[in-house]
Amino acid sequence: MKPLLGTLYLLGMLVPRGLGYDRSLVQHKNQVVDKTRSLWKNLETYSYNKYHPMEEIYLWMSQISEKHAEVVTQHLLGMTFEKRPMYYLKISQPSDNPKKIIWMDCGIHAREWIAPAFCQWFVKEILQNYKDNPRINRFLRNLDFYVLPVLNIDGYIYSWTTDRLWRKSRSSHNNGTCFGSDLNRNFNVSWCSIGASKNCQDLTFCGTEPVSEPETKAVSSFVESKKEDILCFLTIHSYGQLILTPYGYTKNKPSNHEELIQVGQKAANALKAKHGTNYRVGSSADILYPTSGSSRDWARDIGIPYSYTFELRDNGTEGFLLHETQIQPTCEEAMEAVLSILDDVYAKYWLSNTATKVTSTTVLLNLLWLFTSLL
Amino acid sequence: MQPRGQPPFAPQPGPARPYAAPWALLLLQLLLTLRGAAVPLQDPAVPLQGPRGTDSPAAPSWAMLQQAARVALHFFNFHSGSPSELQVLANVQTGGWQVDPQRGYHINLVFSTESYHLQDGKPRLGKCFARVFFQNQKPRPAITMTCTGLSEKNRTLQEDHLLYEQLKQMKDALTVGGIPDDYGYIDPSVRPIWDLAILGSSYVMWERTTQFSYYYPLQLSRVKQWKTSDHAIDFDYTVLLHEFPTQEIIPCHIHLIWYPGKPLKVKYRCEEIQTPVEASSGTEEGSAVAATEFSNF
Repeated sequence: MKPLLGTLYLLGMLVPRGLGYDRSLVQHKNQVVDKTRSLWKNLETYSYNKYHPMEEIYLWMSQISEKHAEVVTQHLLGMTFEKRPMYYLKISQPSDNPKKIIWMDCGIHAREWIAPAFCQWFVKEILQNYKDNPRINRFLRNLDFYVLPVLNIDGYIYSWTTDRLWRKSRSSHNNGTCFGSDLNRNFNVSWCSIGASKNCQDLTFCGTEPVSEPETKAVSSFVESKKEDILCFLTIHSYGQLILTPYGYTKNKPSNHEELIQVGQKAANALKAKHGTNYRVGSSADILYPTSGSSRDWARDIGIPYSYTFELRDNGTEGFLLHETQIQPTCEEAMEAVLSILDDVYAKYWLSNTATKVTSTTVLLNLLWLFTSLL
Repeated sequence: MQPRGQPPFAPQPGPARPYAAPWALLLLQLLLTLRGAAVPLQDPAVPLQGPRGTDSPAAPSWAMLQQAARVALHFFNFHSGSPSELQVLANVQTGGWQVDPQRGYHINLVFSTESYHLQDGKPRLGKCFARVFFQNQKPRPAITMTCTGLSEKNRTLQEDHLLYEQLKQMKDALTVGGIPDDYGYIDPSVRPIWDLAILGSSYVMWERTTQFSYYYPLQLSRVKQWKTSDHAIDFDYTVLLHEFPTQEIIPCHIHLIWYPGKPLKVKYRCEEIQTPVEASSGTEEGSAVAATEFSNF
């Protein structure tokens, strides 16, 4: 299976469709990348404090699912425009009880390198701690984590080989004169109504129709098929230091808006406690700018209750070109925020039932003790 | 830039754990059962409110205040003419506005700042009082402001002179490109060039900002000309600006002349987004046109 996948992947890398970039430049850049960043063969020496090119992330995914085979499996979500496989990792502790799902995707926008770095960090943290850390351990009793470390793989690769500030996918339009859709304007929710462009040259190009892009289609179909079980949809971006709630396409609020803000604010407080960083919480239309066709809004509207966009560090000083020394603190604090949200989700769906049971039982026992002592 | 920490919050207390006498225990548990055993959640953040203007509707949004603070700082940085004294936004503290539907938005605000450069390992904290007028749909808001808590003038001038001497030593600045690099790294030896590039960009960003669009400088992509003498640094370069909300990357070609203590002279031309049908020629059009402004020339 793996050699086949490897071959498919290699084919995908070596036979891009009519991209029109300078191949010699690409090759030169690839060589530079190889010289400075390869030589990593072993999961033990994988650095979570560095940005990794896609080929390393693919390798990391297969190695980590092999090493932690008891809880991690790697799955194919779909194929990108340039025919690369989109893999997600499922972290699930085997058990008899039915599980609910936490979905996290990173790197829907190619240049936001800190986002895939966070997805990898998150997986690493869960796997390093699920046995010994009671907080994480209990999550895995009732929750499965589905993590898509890089959603826009073609774009991500392009940002490594050709244009560091590329944002969109790499789909071809207008007879190969125009490339890429903004995948976060392509979801089927108030598609292209506001904050998006019908012009394929623009960076907020919404695509030729809702879910026109294979990457959007892969995510939509899958999430839709599991929507009854997905409690939490987290999509990770940079930059801006924001925790955004629905919606971007309207100033109207979803039915659970108050709760989303409360949970979000608690997460921002937990984040700030780590390194003092301020993250602002609010609906996208209120604190950022209007957008339509975003994955977060779509997820909320198909019924997933907790749907958030994270905009990670920083605040504009370095922007997308966030220095590698910032990876660790950014990921550590964001981890606190995500864990805080999971605490609240967990408490809402599992703790109140259990707590009531525990409380009632204890009350009963005490009453019994009381009566027996009075006799 | 190294991230700077602040004292962490005190940890939030969890739900009370009863361990008193059985009577009290029983009572407490009865109470809890009656109340329901929900986990207490944090109160939602109070949205930022400011003093109301005389004709205004609700208070200005946080986003609007951020907008005003950002552009006020670009204006401040440009006018200070000092690469050593660049300021970045910390927090907006209060803000209010007066809305004139015909003309635009007057926003007055107070915000805290941090120095871009660390002093003794920490950023210097400052405070600014600003009045920003966004004329409807037009760029280049009118700004009046004062800031406190800055380094005193002599120290700034000294730092600038030090920087000047460093810059004069740079012979191979023309080969410089991609600062920061793809991984966000800025070699300390070329840091002064980046600071000067930001200073020039501040002028451009102030001029281009409207009530809706704003900018951050992402990268110095190319140095076209670098001339140093005892009288000035003559610097011609391209900086990539990140434009919100379009998300576009705008290359701006900036030519500046700088000497410590003297007002900065800036000339620039930004490449505009072209429509797909016409061939892209990289010339600007529309209202956000190249400004030709040499102050005090």
